[in-house]
Amino acid sequence: MSLVSGPGVAGNTSSLPNEIQLAISAHVSYIQSLDTRRDELEYWLTEHLRMNGLYWGLTSLHLLGRPDALPRHETIAFVLSCQKDSGGFGAASGHDAHLLSTVSAVQILVMVDAIDELDSKGKGSEGGKGGVELVGNYIAALQDRMTGTFRGDEFGEEDTRFIYAGFNALSLLHLLHLVDVPLAVLFIESCANFDGGYGVAPGAESHSGQIFTCLAALTIAGRIDMVNKDKLGRWLSERQVEAGGLNGRPEKLEDVCYSWWVAASLTMIGKLHWIDGDKLAKFILSCQDTENGGIADRAGDMVDVFHTVFGLAGLSLLGWEGLEPVDPVYCMPKKITERVLGTRV
Amino acid sequence: MASHNVPRPAIIEVKTEQSRLREQNQIDEYRALVDLIDVKITEHQYTLQVLELTSKLLSKNPEYYTVWNARRRLLTCGLFPKLSASSSPLTASQSTSQIGTTTTSSADVSSSITNSSTESKEILDNFDSQTHRKNGTTLELIKSDLGFIFPLMIQYPKCYWIWNYRLWLLKEGNARLETHIARDLWMHELALVGKMLVRDSRNFHGWGYRRNVVAELESPKLNGFSMAEAEFEYTTKMIKANLSNFSAWHRRSKLIPKLLNERKADDATRHDFLNSEFELITEAIYTDAYPYAQSVWFYYQFLMSTLIEPTGSSAINPNCTLQDRIVYLSKQLISLKDMLDGAEDCKWIYDALLEYTLVLCRMREREATPEERQDCLLWLSELRKLDPLRNGRWGDFRLAGSG
Ligand SMILES: [Zn+2]
Repeated sequence: MSLVSGPGVAGNTSSLPNEIQLAISAHVSYIQSLDTRRDELEYWLTEHLRMNGLYWGLTSLHLLGRPDALPRHETIAFVLSCQKDSGGFGAASGHDAHLLSTVSAVQILVMVDAIDELDSKGKGSEGGKGGVELVGNYIAALQDRMTGTFRGDEFGEEDTRFIYAGFNALSLLHLLHLVDVPLAVLFIESCANFDGGYGVAPGAESHSGQIFTCLAALTIAGRIDMVNKDKLGRWLSERQVEAGGLNGRPEKLEDVCYSWWVAASLTMIGKLHWIDGDKLAKFILSCQDTENGGIADRAGDMVDVFHTVFGLAGLSLLGWEGLEPVDPVYCMPKKITERVLGTRV
Repeated sequence: MASHNVPRPAIIEVKTEQSRLREQNQIDEYRALVDLIDVKITEHQYTLQVLELTSKLLSKNPEYYTVWNARRRLLTCGLFPKLSASSSPLTASQSTSQIGTTTTSSADVSSSITNSSTESKEILDNFDSQTHRKNGTTLELIKSDLGFIFPLMIQYPKCYWIWNYRLWLLKEGNARLETHIARDLWMHELALVGKMLVRDSRNFHGWGYRRNVVAELESPKLNGFSMAEAEFEYTTKMIKANLSNFSAWHRRSKLIPKLLNERKADDATRHDFLNSEFELITEAIYTDAYPYAQSVWFYYQFLMSTLIEPTGSSAINPNCTLQDRIVYLSKQLISLKDMLDGAEDCKWIYDALLEYTLVLCRMREREATPEERQDCLLWLSELRKLDPLRNGRWGDFRLAGSG
């Protein structure tokens, strides 16, 4: 999967019809075409996002109702080729292991129902099992047992995003017991701000992306009760601007990816109705390239797979007809998280 | 991350054969460089030449985190002089003896520095030559690296890996350099991040970096002391430059409790302090178009929250009695009603009036009076009219007694 932007551009129809449609088949072919663009320099410059990109593309296809549009065997082979002896996954073969690629790898393998293959063929597997455990151990070793936070890799960068990444992957592997969940929850609590939001670390400004990761981590930990839902709902609902799109922080520009971070957060605290869903849907649709497929950050900009998945996931949260329902915690099809985790309340 | 703010070209050009070939050449060159670095690192060739190769690649692609990692290994496993067994920073005498043995590599470093950008020279010039000699190679390497990164930070201010690498590098300095030298490096960072925030006063990474730099400068290991007063002044400066800088308002809200504790402020001083903050924000709200800008209102909410929950972690005046707080809040309600004059279309005022009228009822442990209920219903209908995007929120408002 490549992160090459374009060739499509958003909102290229000169006059938008009253009822804008979701260009489902264009988006499917756009994603299918991404790995064929090796003759573009940008394909190689974005190699560090290949694993994330595959997760974004595959999730898009699942939401679009075309889960088989990428070849399953090649997908599994690619993911396993990026695994390191430590159990962690890199962004592509030859890239160092990092928590962010590892969580994407686990999510991909769950989506194509290949956790068994990880267990039997992944690093650390012996006699047909053990691969899953090694991945779990790799992630668990990234937790700082004094503070509860997770590092992104051996070099120690810490960020509330990584707590979520750790919880996400470990819960999908049924290995959450390998880490100190209550301690991580305490750390998240220390990142809370007066506006009800959360920042990247204690003292940091509230940011929609960080809020999403903190709420999702708290949901996985079963501690969403810690959130001041009225205060946070108010702050999050103020992310919607006149054009219908959502921004990440006060007085910033709207951007399609925040359709996911903000709307998923509102969903997790039961307040999605605090914004205007119709206007948000219209905004997202205005950012798609209806001819060549793909969604951009804003109308008139280049499309890419990152904004494509988060635009589609936002529409799915809004109940857009023709899209698979998305799980607001995992950004994966609900059907799949229910298969793996059972029905959660 | 993915493409942000990349405008589409007016016409999508069909690639000519010539431009296709040119792109293929660029790809081949890029991939050859990637492969070369891979080979050298696998062979543990931790030399300045390989360091230069990683610089070349990272200038083309600063998102290549694996290469930033390679650079870390180049320094810690090869180029930095070995840390003493106790992992303590070099003492003056140790580093003097170090110089004799590392003259050659030191000269190499200097020549590589000469090739770096003018920014890096500017940084280096701020250190006197005596400092150079004292800490030898380690300092040269760190400063050269800081100089290499700086233009990348300017060009890619939102790239996580660059900021992280820079912090890592400086923390290596803490462990490897004499305290006052490590401290000088961090001081320089404070000035640098100040410049970055002038360029983009809301840069999320920039504010985070500043928080990190200040925490280091305050830490006992660098003989630090609290910078709350200076940082508070800094937020004042940033806010005066742009009242919509929520990042600065936010930082201010975090500094105040610390500041007051350090000043050992008594209750009266705290009361006056809160007054002056309310004056500041009210003045901001009255400035030009700011009643319609949300940053000022979120700070207003912060100040009000310190009255409503006085003992929380962001306390300003924790000993304020309930009666005093009720009086204070009532005064604010009057001032809010005054604000409506000439700003009848400002939803934030109605939002605040509605919220704090109901809060005041709760603090007084009584239901809203018929008159207050009448007001609230009126404000709510204004909110529905002025702010239909959030109709779902207004619809959830339940006035006590109305179910
Ligand atoms: Zn975006």
